[in-house]
Amino acid sequence: MRIAAERTLAEEWAVPKDVDVAWCPGCGNFGIREAVKLALSELGLKPEQSCFVSGIGQAAKAPHYIRCNLFNGLHGRTLPVAAGVKLANPGLVVLAEGGDGDGYAEGGNHFLHALRRNVNMTYLVHDNQIYGLTKGQTSPTSEPGMKTRTTPCGAIEPAFRPLALAVMMDAGFVARGFCARPRQLADIIKLAVQHRGFSLVEILQNCVSFNHVNTAKWYSHRIYDLADEKHDPTDRDKAYHKALEWGDRIPVGVIYRSGRKSYDELLGETLGPRLSDPDRIPDLLDELLGQFQ
Amino acid sequence: MDLIVAGHAGQGLQVISRTLAWMLVRAGYYVFLSQDVMSRIRGGHNFARLRVGTEPVYADGDAAQVLVALDPALVERHIPHLAPDAVVVTDAAGTLPEGVNAVRLPFADLAREPVMVNAVAVGASLALVGLDPAGLGEIFSGQFRGKGEEVVRRNVAAAEAGFRAVVEGGKGCCPPKLAGGVPGERVLISGAEALALGAIAAGVRVVTGYPMSPATPIVEYCFRHAQEAGLIVEQTEDEVSAANLAIGAAFAGARSMVCTAGGGFCLMNEALSLAGMTETPLVLCVGMRPGPATGMATRTEQADLLFSIYAGHGEFPRAVLTPADAEQAFHAAQDAFRIAEKYQTPVIILFDQFMADALWTVERSRLRSGVASPSTLVPDSAAIKPYSYRRYEVTESGVSPMVLPGTAQQLVYADSDEHTEEGHIAESAAIRLLMVNKRNAKLAGIRRELAVPKVEAEVKAEAEVKARVKVEVKVEAEGEEKAETLVFCFGSSRGVVSEALKRLRAKGLNAAMVHLNHIWPFPVDAVAGLVGKEKRALTVEQNYSGQLAQLLLQECGVRAAGTVRRFDGRQFTVAEVEAGLEEMMR
Repeated sequence: MRIAAERTLAEEWAVPKDVDVAWCPGCGNFGIREAVKLALSELGLKPEQSCFVSGIGQAAKAPHYIRCNLFNGLHGRTLPVAAGVKLANPGLVVLAEGGDGDGYAEGGNHFLHALRRNVNMTYLVHDNQIYGLTKGQTSPTSEPGMKTRTTPCGAIEPAFRPLALAVMMDAGFVARGFCARPRQLADIIKLAVQHRGFSLVEILQNCVSFNHVNTAKWYSHRIYDLADEKHDPTDRDKAYHKALEWGDRIPVGVIYRSGRKSYDELLGETLGPRLSDPDRIPDLLDELLGQFQ
Repeated sequence: MDLIVAGHAGQGLQVISRTLAWMLVRAGYYVFLSQDVMSRIRGGHNFARLRVGTEPVYADGDAAQVLVALDPALVERHIPHLAPDAVVVTDAAGTLPEGVNAVRLPFADLAREPVMVNAVAVGASLALVGLDPAGLGEIFSGQFRGKGEEVVRRNVAAAEAGFRAVVEGGKGCCPPKLAGGVPGERVLISGAEALALGAIAAGVRVVTGYPMSPATPIVEYCFRHAQEAGLIVEQTEDEVSAANLAIGAAFAGARSMVCTAGGGFCLMNEALSLAGMTETPLVLCVGMRPGPATGMATRTEQADLLFSIYAGHGEFPRAVLTPADAEQAFHAAQDAFRIAEKYQTPVIILFDQFMADALWTVERSRLRSGVASPSTLVPDSAAIKPYSYRRYEVTESGVSPMVLPGTAQQLVYADSDEHTEEGHIAESAAIRLLMVNKRNAKLAGIRRELAVPKVEAEVKAEAEVKARVKVEVKVEAEGEEKAETLVFCFGSSRGVVSEALKRLRAKGLNAAMVHLNHIWPFPVDAVAGLVGKEKRALTVEQNYSGQLAQLLLQECGVRAAGTVRRFDGRQFTVAEVEAGLEEMMR
């Protein structure tokens, strides 16, 4: 693969300026989009080497606003589609992208099993703790007490902690970034893409229209970089505590890394190569039919 | 000749019935083997019926000449299924009803080990039908693959003991021995296995599913042969994931198939609609069992016909295929991939539990690979100006050229939102109209995949029709052209109806069968033409509401004069279809 000059590649990932972007001015999605373009271009990837898969929501529109291959499917169904793409064409760099409602509510069961399945792909979750596109309902990550259109007296359920779940499931790569720090986020995404197996990047994101609690300023005062604390991401117990840390201090960076083998590695080891040559089919059919005689 | 093998779940009935069937096929007979199985792992009452003939057989018989009952307590309930001269092979212990012509064998003593009782039963049955047990070793080797030669040897020894016990002690009560088998190149295969094999022959690459009767055997067959066939087979967390994963794989260029039953298909409806909207080729194998909800897990019905035709929100084209038997199932899989790829849309293979679980004898020469199916994949994407590919380019046929993600200098955007030709989200009314028309234009093309039906003068001629590798005739009309009554059916009713009509013809009642193998898009012109103004239409179908009759009326304006229906979870018998039709025709 020829690695083009960085600036050229970064431009290659950008859509023309006249594309109508459906995000609110000041939306955290803009910062995330910059980080994604930065990360993939710095990895020397061209848009056609990628395949994004997204669901429904404002976050899930993100791949439409870069140049890439994209399957924009259904709400919550991002991860199974992404796994299918990767299994069918392991040569593609597969990224799934969506919001907290898409991934943790509608897609909760798929999230759980994607962590188990460990297909080599990266999952970018824009987590703004609120439903944006449907205009301000509670999300699985809304804090208890948060007033939304569907929790007028305040949310009564505890917030879902996806990173802790991922550590518990021994996910290969678990990290958190922040939309207003695209440089740091890009570095995290680069590591995630380079990781062989399922990598989760949870991205803290403000919603200027519907979340007036967890604003960009709110996050800025609380987040700290795990690298500054010399956090060892291979220490699972510590990672679990970091994954649960929330409130006055919120860690960002790589939380956990495990040496788990990916789905394709294990498949190759146990069952041999896949996606074989179609020219073999007549002989294969002959052999299989013989077993019924 | 008809045989019944009865026992409890967990007693190895499958080994007995399959081994017998295999021996008979190898001896040159055609065997039809159906199963009646309870949804449990141990105990209960399961049985298999074997129909044996010197010509192809496609349905259960009315009266068995041989009953093999592993437990004498099960004999009484099978007495209505037995011919007057029937022989019952059963254990020496336990009491039997009066007047049963029985061969009592000390199963446990002959077997030496409890797990070998089924082998003893195999040997005893072979003696009764008059087949040499030589060759059993080869069949057992295949069945007990991986369990070692010692296991095979002990099973053969137990079978021989059973065989000898009948020959030495059971004289004088044997049914007429079989005669006239002509060995040929034939396979004994279940509908589910034939579906899986057809998919492999069509070049399937990714198979997904969540365990659910009656689709599980399809996925299990693919798992067993994943390595040699180069398949990726994934048991997903649920049916939603199974369908979406298959769609992702298909988008990336792998022929993909998802297998489920009616209940699981409910969960997949959203994904079905997604495949329609994103124009992704997807094959869905949907098994019908009695519903609603969990219904009867291991039994048969044909009540998901209208559901399959209308499943999924919004309007998009699809095809629904309803194979009658293993041979049609094999070809249905290949047709499904061909149509799905050519029209970039979902195709449903709607099969009934009875078809999937029954074993059919098929001439091997009829099961050929038709893998070279036409594809709309762009052969040379270099011919497209760099980065100008439009996934949903509007064409007259509605089918857009397909480029796969990962192609150099092209980007592919697929979208479940209404979208532009490039594949980006669109809300404009003009684009909406363009895209709705584009997608649904494909229906005309899919419809053209159905050929003009022929009225077959003789039932036997069907073999020739079915011999085609390229399936042209989708509607098969059987019977004499002058018949004033047409009997419509779909799925596994074909064999039963065909036989019932033969019996009615012998009584001077002339009716012809139209079996709809490719049922959607409904072959409106063909069916309307066949019925015309003079002929009377009847339907035979396994559901409560007469769904095929509803389709006839809705699609062709043909009001069926009557429907023979059954919905107790059991397959039609020839006698009841015969009686039902006779009543309507008299």
